[in-house]
Amino acid sequence: MSRRLAWLSGSGVMGLSAQAQASGWNMPVGVTDISAEIYSLHMTIFWICVVIGLVVFGVMFYSLFRYRRSRHPEAANFHENTTVEVIWTTLPLLILVGMAVPATATLKKMYDTSDAELDVMVTGQQWRWRYEYLGEEVAFTSNMSTPRAQIRGEEPFGEHYLLEVDRPLVLPINRKVRFLFTADDVIHSWWVPDFAVKQDTIPGFVNENWVRINEPGIYRGQCAELCGMDHGFMPIVVHALEEDEFDAWLAERRDEAAEEALGVDRDWALEELMARGEEVYGAICASCHQVEGQGMLPTFPALAGNERLIDDLAWHSDTVINGVSGTAMPAFRSTLNPVELAAVLTYTRNAWGNDTGDTVQPAQIAEQLAR
Amino acid sequence: MWQVIKSVLAAFFGVQKERQRRRDFEEGRPGHFILVGLGAAAVLVGLVVLVAVLVAR
Ligand code: HEC
Ligand SMILES: [Cu+2]
Repeated sequence: MSRRLAWLSGSGVMGLSAQAQASGWNMPVGVTDISAEIYSLHMTIFWICVVIGLVVFGVMFYSLFRYRRSRHPEAANFHENTTVEVIWTTLPLLILVGMAVPATATLKKMYDTSDAELDVMVTGQQWRWRYEYLGEEVAFTSNMSTPRAQIRGEEPFGEHYLLEVDRPLVLPINRKVRFLFTADDVIHSWWVPDFAVKQDTIPGFVNENWVRINEPGIYRGQCAELCGMDHGFMPIVVHALEEDEFDAWLAERRDEAAEEALGVDRDWALEELMARGEEVYGAICASCHQVEGQGMLPTFPALAGNERLIDDLAWHSDTVINGVSGTAMPAFRSTLNPVELAAVLTYTRNAWGNDTGDTVQPAQIAEQLAR
Repeated sequence: MWQVIKSVLAAFFGVQKERQRRRDFEEGRPGHFILVGLGAAAVLVGLVVLVAVLVAR
C-alpha cells in the first residue's frame, strides 16, 4: 500500500472494512436482544424488497420480451385503468404499514431507558471519548492507542489498527446500562455495531440510549459523525465483563480515584510530574501540539521554545485550565484532574529544551480551580 | 357537496377516474375544493397525531 493510500485509509475507511470483514458482508447480529431484533427486522425487510424486486423486474422483462416490436409492430393505445391504479397504490401502503408495525415496536424498546442499573455518561471530545460512571466517582478518557508510525505507514498495521484504545469502557453483562450522551465541542456519534447503538453526542444536549449485553467480550466501534481532523482516530472499545468481575473492576477504579485525590495534598518531585505529564501530553495534547511540542502552524502553536509560555506561568496555567475561547484550544478544567493538570504543565515547562526547572504542584492547581 | 368530498379523498389517495375529473373541472367551483382540501388535511394530521399518541402510550 502506498503511503498516501495508507494515510487515506487512516481516515476511517480501513476501520470500517475491518469491521465488515469481522462480521461478513451483512450487519452484525450483535450481542444484545435489541441488536438481534434489529438484525431480524433488517432481514425481513431485505427479503420483502427482494420479492418486490423479483416481481417488478420479472413483469418488466417478460413484457419487454413478449411485446417486442418484431412481434407486435402496432403499439397498443390505452389510457387509465382505475382498478389497477387502486391496487398498486393500496399494496405498497399495506406493505409499508406492515413493516412499520414491528419497526415501531422495536423503536419503543430502544427508547425505554427506565430501570437502568448503571448510568454511564459518554462525552465526545476532539478526539477522544470520556466515560463517567455516574454516582461511582469513576471517570476517565479513552484515547486511540494505535502508534502514529503505523498511521504514517512507517510500520506495518497492527491487528486492531485504528480500533484500539488505552483505556476501554468496561461494562457488566446482564445488567441494563443507560448511556447519557453529550459532547464538549462539536457533534460526534458513539457507534458500536455489536450493540446496535449509534447515537449522536451533541454539545448542550443529553441523548439517551441503553444496552444489556448478553455475552462477555471485546466490542469495537468508531465515531460516526465527521468531527474534524482526527475524526478517524477516536475509536471505541468496550470490554464486557461478568458481573462479579465488573464489580471488582469498579471497586478498584474507585480506590484508584480516591488515591489520586490524596495525591493532590502531597508534594510531587519533578521527575514524578514529568513522567506523568508525558503520559497526559501524549494522550491528550499531542494530537494538536504534536509529540515534540513543535505544533502545526498556522493553527496549532508550538509549545517547544514558546517564549510566552516559558516567561509567564500564570498565563500558561490559565490557558490550559480555561482554554482559549473561539479557538480549538479546549478548557481542561473538568476533563483533567489537578494531578494531571499539574503534571502536564510541569512537563510542557521542562520538555524539549523549555528547561524552566519549574514544578507545578497539584495543590497549587486545586487552589486555582477552587477560585 | 358529497361529490366534492369524494374527489378530494380521491386526490389524497392519488387515483381518480377520468370521467369524474372532467366533471369536476366543468361543474365544480375551485373554492369548494380548496376548503374541503384544507379540512381533509387537518383531519389527516389529526389522525396521524392520534396514531402516534396511541402507539407511544
Ligand atoms: C484540539 C486541539 C488542541 C488540543 C487537544 C490542545 N490544544 Fe493547546 N492550543 C490549541 C490551539 C488551536 C491553540 C491556539 C489558541 C489561540 O489561537 O490563542 C492552543 C494554544 C495553547 C497554548 C498557548 C500557546 C500560545 O502560544 O498561544 C498552550 C500553552 C497550550 N495550548 C497547551 C496545551 C496543552 C498543555 C494541551 C493538553 C493538555 C493542549 N494545549 C491541548 C489546540 C489544542
Ligand atoms: Cu468525533
